Amino acid sequence: MSRSRFLQIHTLHTYTGALLNRDDTGLAKQLPYGGTFRTRISSQCLKRHWRKADDVHALSEIDGAEDSFRSRELVTERVIAPLRAEFPKEVIDALEPELQKAVYGEKADKGKRSRQTLLLGAPELAWLAGEAKRLAAEATDAKAAKTGVADWAKSFKDNIKALREATALPGGLTAALFGRMVTSDPAANIDAPVHVAHAFTVHAQESESDYFTAVDDLRRDEDDSGADTIQETELTSGLYYGYVVIDLPGLIANCGGNAALAGEVVHNLVYLIAEVSPGAKLGSTAPYGRAELMLLEAGDRQPRSLAAAYRKAIANDLEVAAETLSQHLGKLDGIYATGEARRHLSMADAAPPSSAPGSLAELADWAKAKTLEAAQ
Amino acid sequence: MSADATGTGHRWLILRLEAPLLAFGGVAIDAVGVTRDFPAVSMLTGLFANALGWDRTEVEAHQALQDRLVYGARRDRANPLGLLTDSQNAQLEARERGWTTWGRPEERGGGGQGIHRRRRDYHADACIQLVVRLDPADGTPDLDALAAALERPARPLFIGRKPCLPTHPIWAPGMEVTAPTVHAALSLLAPADDADDPPWSALWPADEGPKTGRNVHRVTALADRRNWRTGLHGGTRMVVEGCIGVSPETAP
Repeated sequence: MSRSRFLQIHTLHTYTGALLNRDDTGLAKQLPYGGTFRTRISSQCLKRHWRKADDVHALSEIDGAEDSFRSRELVTERVIAPLRAEFPKEVIDALEPELQKAVYGEKADKGKRSRQTLLLGAPELAWLAGEAKRLAAEATDAKAAKTGVADWAKSFKDNIKALREATALPGGLTAALFGRMVTSDPAANIDAPVHVAHAFTVHAQESESDYFTAVDDLRRDEDDSGADTIQETELTSGLYYGYVVIDLPGLIANCGGNAALAGEVVHNLVYLIAEVSPGAKLGSTAPYGRAELMLLEAGDRQPRSLAAAYRKAIANDLEVAAETLSQHLGKLDGIYATGEARRHLSMADAAPPSSAPGSLAELADWAKAKTLEAAQ
Repeated sequence: MSADATGTGHRWLILRLEAPLLAFGGVAIDAVGVTRDFPAVSMLTGLFANALGWDRTEVEAHQALQDRLVYGARRDRANPLGLLTDSQNAQLEARERGWTTWGRPEERGGGGQGIHRRRRDYHADACIQLVVRLDPADGTPDLDALAAALERPARPLFIGRKPCLPTHPIWAPGMEVTAPTVHAALSLLAPADDADDPPWSALWPADEGPKTGRNVHRVTALADRRNWRTGLHGGTRMVVEGCIGVSPETAP
């Protein structure tokens, strides 16, 4: 079986009487598509809610994150080990503890239990490996190596501190998923391996202008009568199509090559996408809902969304939407024969072609297994 | 001059750029991210580099590929209401800084912390067809390698911005055409699904098609070349903005 490079995630979610994502006028964001206006949820909004979710599947809850000992060996394995074939043992032995301390903090030379958990991605490891190699090459003996690395740690103190801040967990995990572009240095930034499309309703926008007043319950009879405030807001109802694609090798690289950790991240992300609401106005509209359909696809052909299935607006009806998605996917399969492996969950009767049904737990486990396969 | 003097014509890949939202970023000033009508040569270079799995630091390869790209674009479908402007709010953290490979951390310059508002323009519901070849043709990658990378890219492909995820394969086997020039190749393309009525607005290099006539709107110097070594855009190339109708070959 060929390795899957991409995991594509398609969803249908219903939110009724809500205002999920507003534009600068305070009205729901829209998308003109195929001749009708739809209600839209921006990718920025979706990602923020997945990132910040306080939930059993939150990224910060990932076991591998806080307790990942493997990540504390990255300097040993990926920075120091490659130098041993090239440079004298005493030089590397002198270099290593000082470099560990510089990266992981005080007492880091005492072993991995004394090290801070950092999620060093490919850019961090490449820079550290380059610096370590330069220091090893410049050192004539063990003493010189120790002095050299001490000088290095001192002059780059601020930079190493910034590196530590950026990669400390759980924040480092968020960057591994959603990217980091803080600097003008292309070699230090991390590309997001998770690509998120704007979600939009499969039907024409259904919106209602909600007129409301707030009444002062403590009002005395002698006060003016009437409400304290009169306002208007927009409420929309919608069945939303959402699409996410994960670059699995990219995510694994951002996790410092730790496929097990990347697998846990993907597992939890599947849950977050299915279960976390992008909602605002939580108190007044309770915009909670879980995916009524979720389709996962793993493959190595160019990822493409199924948004075009809904280019012509259909009814706000899950059965119709599931049928439309399945037919569209069947047509794409017929023309392009891209051969993705599939799993889905659905509350509708129509089933996507060549896909086996499962529960959310099974889908999340399947996604994790695909991530581990991608690393082999 | 790229057109083949023998008249046998070049082989062009046909690319289909279609998604609910597309962006062809132009010069961004302050918090306003504009979009051009057509993809820039730098954007296409980035798209292809992504497909080929190149790293951002491989600047020489990016530059060489950009220098070899010969392409034109035809907009088969446009949203009659014009551009969609998305308004975004970003929360800036007080201590946001990043390490660099030159050894000094970089911080955000100027501006207050808190909510930063910005605008991003998109083409909604558009479909753009491109014809692309590489000149010289025998460099690395060649056109076949590029096509293979588009079909099985190293990373997910997006059209201008990360959320602009395509609804169709950008390239699939059989999507090619033979023609002497960009303009001739664009004229041969069958209309996209649900295309607007012709003529369609189009862009071609000044030496790859007509420079005068009823279907030429203007000849202009387009600043869409990126210097991949410095990361800055600079320099211009002459292009024609015009329109293309149904060619004699495809007319009913």
